[in-house]
Amino acid sequence: MKMKSWHLNRRDVLRGGGLALGLPFLNGMSWAKGLAGEGRPKRLVVSYIAYGIYDPKTADGKAHEWSWYPRHDNGPITLNRASAPFEPVQDSLTYLRGLDHAGGYGLGGHSCGDVFATGADMTGPEKTNNISVDQLAAKVNGHKTRYPSLVLGSEGGTGSYGMSKTLSHAGPGRPIPALKRPQEIFNRLFQPYANKTVGDVRSELKREASVLDLMMENYRSLHGKLGAEDREKMDEYLESVRALEQRVERTSRWTHEPLPEIDSEGLNLDATYEDPTEYIRCMYDLLYLALQTDSTRFATFMTESEHSTGNLVGNFANKLFGYTGATHDIAHKRPEEASGLWEKWRAEQHSYFLQRLRDTPEGEGNMLDSTVVLWGSAHPHGSHSTRDYPIQVAGGNRLGFRHGHLHAFDESRKVPLSNLFVSMLNAVDTPVEEFADSTGELTEILG
Amino acid sequence: MFASCLALLPRLPLFRRAILFFSVVGFLVPGQGTEIPAGLAGYADHVKPFFEEHCFQCHGPEKSKGDITLHSLDGDLLAGLELERWELVLEVLKSGEMPPEDELQPSDERKSAVAKWIDAGLREAIRSASQVAPEPTARRLTNFEYQNTMRDLFGFELNLAEKLPEDPHKPYHFNNTAEFMLLGPDQVDRYLDNAREALASAIVDPGEPQVVRQEWTFDPRGSILAESQPDEVGVYGTRRGTVGNGVVLKQWPERGEYRIRIKAAAILPLGHDQVPLRLVMGSHLRSDAGTGDYEPVGSVLLKNKVDDLQEFEFRGRIENHPIQVGKVTDKGQLPSTRYLYAQNLFDNGRLNDHRRNHLDNDWKFDAPRVVVRSIEFEAPVADTWPPHHHTRILFDSPERESDPEEYVRLVLERFMGRAFRRPPSAQELERFFRLYQMLEPEFGTLEATMRETLSMVLIAPQFLYHTVAGDGVTIADYELASRLSYFLWGSMPDEELLVLAGKGNLKNPAILEKQVQRLLDDERSADFVENFSLQWLSLEKAKAININRDLFPRFLYTVPNGERRGQEVLFRPTIRDYMLQETSGFIAELIRGNRPVLDIVDSDFGWLNEPLAAHYGVDGVKGIGFRRVPLEKEDRLGGLLTHGSILVGNGTGSAPHPIYRAVWLREAILGDKVKPPPAEVPALSDTTGESAETAVSIKDLLRQHRTQEGCNDCHVRLDPWGIPFEEYNAAGQFQPVVPGPGTRIPRFSETVHRDLQGYEEALEKLLTVPVEASARVPHGPEIDGVDELKNYLLRDRAEDIVRNVTERLVTYGIGRELTYRDRYAIEALVKEAQGRDARWRDLVLSVCLSDLFLFPSPSTPDL
Repeated sequence: MKMKSWHLNRRDVLRGGGLALGLPFLNGMSWAKGLAGEGRPKRLVVSYIAYGIYDPKTADGKAHEWSWYPRHDNGPITLNRASAPFEPVQDSLTYLRGLDHAGGYGLGGHSCGDVFATGADMTGPEKTNNISVDQLAAKVNGHKTRYPSLVLGSEGGTGSYGMSKTLSHAGPGRPIPALKRPQEIFNRLFQPYANKTVGDVRSELKREASVLDLMMENYRSLHGKLGAEDREKMDEYLESVRALEQRVERTSRWTHEPLPEIDSEGLNLDATYEDPTEYIRCMYDLLYLALQTDSTRFATFMTESEHSTGNLVGNFANKLFGYTGATHDIAHKRPEEASGLWEKWRAEQHSYFLQRLRDTPEGEGNMLDSTVVLWGSAHPHGSHSTRDYPIQVAGGNRLGFRHGHLHAFDESRKVPLSNLFVSMLNAVDTPVEEFADSTGELTEILG
Repeated sequence: MFASCLALLPRLPLFRRAILFFSVVGFLVPGQGTEIPAGLAGYADHVKPFFEEHCFQCHGPEKSKGDITLHSLDGDLLAGLELERWELVLEVLKSGEMPPEDELQPSDERKSAVAKWIDAGLREAIRSASQVAPEPTARRLTNFEYQNTMRDLFGFELNLAEKLPEDPHKPYHFNNTAEFMLLGPDQVDRYLDNAREALASAIVDPGEPQVVRQEWTFDPRGSILAESQPDEVGVYGTRRGTVGNGVVLKQWPERGEYRIRIKAAAILPLGHDQVPLRLVMGSHLRSDAGTGDYEPVGSVLLKNKVDDLQEFEFRGRIENHPIQVGKVTDKGQLPSTRYLYAQNLFDNGRLNDHRRNHLDNDWKFDAPRVVVRSIEFEAPVADTWPPHHHTRILFDSPERESDPEEYVRLVLERFMGRAFRRPPSAQELERFFRLYQMLEPEFGTLEATMRETLSMVLIAPQFLYHTVAGDGVTIADYELASRLSYFLWGSMPDEELLVLAGKGNLKNPAILEKQVQRLLDDERSADFVENFSLQWLSLEKAKAININRDLFPRFLYTVPNGERRGQEVLFRPTIRDYMLQETSGFIAELIRGNRPVLDIVDSDFGWLNEPLAAHYGVDGVKGIGFRRVPLEKEDRLGGLLTHGSILVGNGTGSAPHPIYRAVWLREAILGDKVKPPPAEVPALSDTTGESAETAVSIKDLLRQHRTQEGCNDCHVRLDPWGIPFEEYNAAGQFQPVVPGPGTRIPRFSETVHRDLQGYEEALEKLLTVPVEASARVPHGPEIDGVDELKNYLLRDRAEDIVRNVTERLVTYGIGRELTYRDRYAIEALVKEAQGRDARWRDLVLSVCLSDLFLFPSPSTPDL
């Protein structure tokens, strides 16, 4: 069978797979700035760790040397053994204790990961999940970059109710599948046209657009014949096809912009779960490159899900330092040494990402200054509690965040975690007054 | 695991336990004096004073226990407001649940008079509310329905649903309702990918295909020193160079059906007469390592001996098997491969006992072995070329040459008629014809253009949604045909149903009954039973619970040797898988045999295979196939309550969990709605979850729980239902004795216990205390253990259980939640079932013949 251009559908076009276009490359930043016609990009990243953290009680009330939290109570951060990897970015860190989503209370510890970035009340009136913080930002500012957002997850896909494998949701019933294969992510981001010319791509997009027009016509004629309550229900189909149309339009528009040049030196796109450090770093590298080239400004990364026991991600601790059980078992049994090593390893990987941002100059500062990075879990410790998420906020020093402290929100001061989301959204030019169950902004960490 | 505390609320939308009470009180004690005048007058003079006296104290302006208040209700039910709340009041009054046992009780006459007044008002309100907007009926196909529909539409099965975002699932709810079946852009995108994949496989290009063949043979005479010969597959993985270590497929066509032929036999030691062989194909398959990304090819039970080698044939679609992408080396990219691997699935439930060391060979030879002398792979194969799935779409016709445009229209009409589950309208047909014309210049050939055009048909809402459209677009009989097939098959209607719908006589009860029986007899009904039971009984949890392998070392299969020794074997069916098969197989057997609905509480047979029977301690079951096994009282297994899928799923993996089990019983069997705990209730300590190694008394924990205010109100009505289940451990086995409080439970250690047998003996010595499984259920007697619980349920709660099963079937069948408005329709179904001894198949049939199913929600376009 002769390979004709139509063999590559639009998805292939978007995903790519092969050579990049032979177009003159420009520095990623310059074209993005030209297009957006505005100042420095403001970015938001959410990263997730599963099965809670190690945070044993100690006699003196101070944090344990292997605790995920560098200190126990309010005050300036001094790093302990588990958080030592953050030393190079210490000035850009805040730890928060005592925040959580009321919407997760009814879900059970292993299901709270679903709502970590959404704050939705899935057991209550919403029944399904709702829009996540990154997607809300992408809705407002996503048009300024080639991709509105980037959704990563070590296990990939969406997972299902109570067992999410993605942090991002476009709205009720619309989980966004996380990407997990480094090569696929790279191609999708940086070689979106595969081995086709821009001309081919454009004429294909044009055809896609007319086909979608016809599909819309077909929808409308059916719609007119439905009962009122069914019509309302079918609006989501309309929205979905419209979103496809918009994407065709958007892709088409971006074919006029050159692709960024990528320095893929040292990038091991074949990294697999066999070497967890290599894999997680590769994912963080891709996330970094996507931000650095201004291909997107909003991203999530579920480094592990709360249900990783069925796959090799759940055996990372075993691969790394020979822990005999699944990673999940560490959370239950909390052996001191394995817990400490595990926390330290996770800190090393996340710190690696933060340092890459910090080491990239941007204007008078660096990339980390204009990127707010949330890191944490919705499952505080081994007891399946759904309260008091471990939360670290990093970066965004030029977006109004003030760092260096641990803030504990105990009974009297308790506020919803969503307050932090409101502050993060406002910092990245997504003006909101509320998000999920928020009651205001999280003023403690705003400068 | 006590982090979640649970509060109780009787299920809102429907009444329970009503009829029994009604018939006793309503007819035996009629008394003129107990009649309350209808409407507002009766409310002011009788009902409100009753509420003031008995209810407002807890459900009034001061307190609102269970989030329920009554003082704000007004007495005018006809206004149609808050009917759900009225129904709830009616329900708790009738059941006797309220007022609580320790409060002042009204006289039965007075209670029944108030109940009657509410009942009459509710009935009247529902009758007059027929004008209210109906529930939406438009809902997209669930992934389960989509997968089956694509299979039946094309005539071959590709794994398509796994490429879609997973459907939501919510415990004890069916997910086929409009509320759950949402749709987003990414999903439409993936539907399109899937459609293109399916059509690329369905429509072949002209000309003969190039056939790929590969063959492997295995020498029966290897080294005499080796523990097994190259053509043998033992129970535990295998050595290099033997058939059990897999063969490497190096080339294959991109698409198409393959045929694998093997010459095989069994080596059967004394006492065995069969051995199951399974072929799997995929990437990175090794028994002792690898990620195990595979798809089964097929299974066969070998009974023939080596002197009687026989040939077995398997067919499948090559597209479904994962590819192992070649590595990039210094010499460039290595070619991609697929591994084909033969497994010996023999399992007597004791496989791990011999993991002590790999020299433990004696037992290896006591177990049956598989012999595979040759394997032959060939693809593509088809009985005719082009294959049937091609000519079903692009059929032979004179118009193909004489009038190509007409031919395209005919092809579209035929395909759309099946994809839309009804004939397309002229307008719809014309639109897709225009689409064809638009695509043709670019795609060139008929085959290519048709693939793309039909892909678009498969993302049209007419395909993706169940809809009820007016204006002659959909016809009631076609809707009914679809409703039947999606209920009983989870798939599209077949030719016979569509023809009957076309003739317009599907609503004829005699014809309808015959069709229901035919659909139930068809093997596709197994899909319905599996999907229905999985959601109704909320079995999903059983897949996710992490079993404590120290306490239950036989539950998962562990790799016997090599670098992954002691870890879980990644691709081999386990007890957990068999437990899920047990449950859906049991329900299927109930339907097949038209068994009483109450067999779910207790039955004199079970649905077991050898490994599962060994796990439960039932003797005399041989082989891996499931079958009906007669049960004795001492097996302690009849009915659903003791199924491993339920006990494991509602445990912690280390210990039983009485609260989860109580919730399961109330939700899945009694049909109550158990509300999750309110957000402000503090969590109880997680002692059972964390102290797998230390025994604790669950009763103490629960007692502690109930002393906290805020927990007690609800838990006093919940916990007792879970206590009788304490006789069954976290792995689903009957275990009436437990370690005493504070006992340290040792982990398995080879040096101390030598083997699992030794470990088991050591554990048994610790079991010194009879388990506490006795509790008084609310409004019921003291119940000790599951046997007494079953007796109580059969004796006192039979009607609630029949009603619950009826409601589940209706909800699943019509794809929407029931409301108070369905109350009397359900009541009629339950009465009918009770009159006929309440049997499974009869009940499914009456559901299909009921108005609820025939006219689920009349929807008229507003003008």
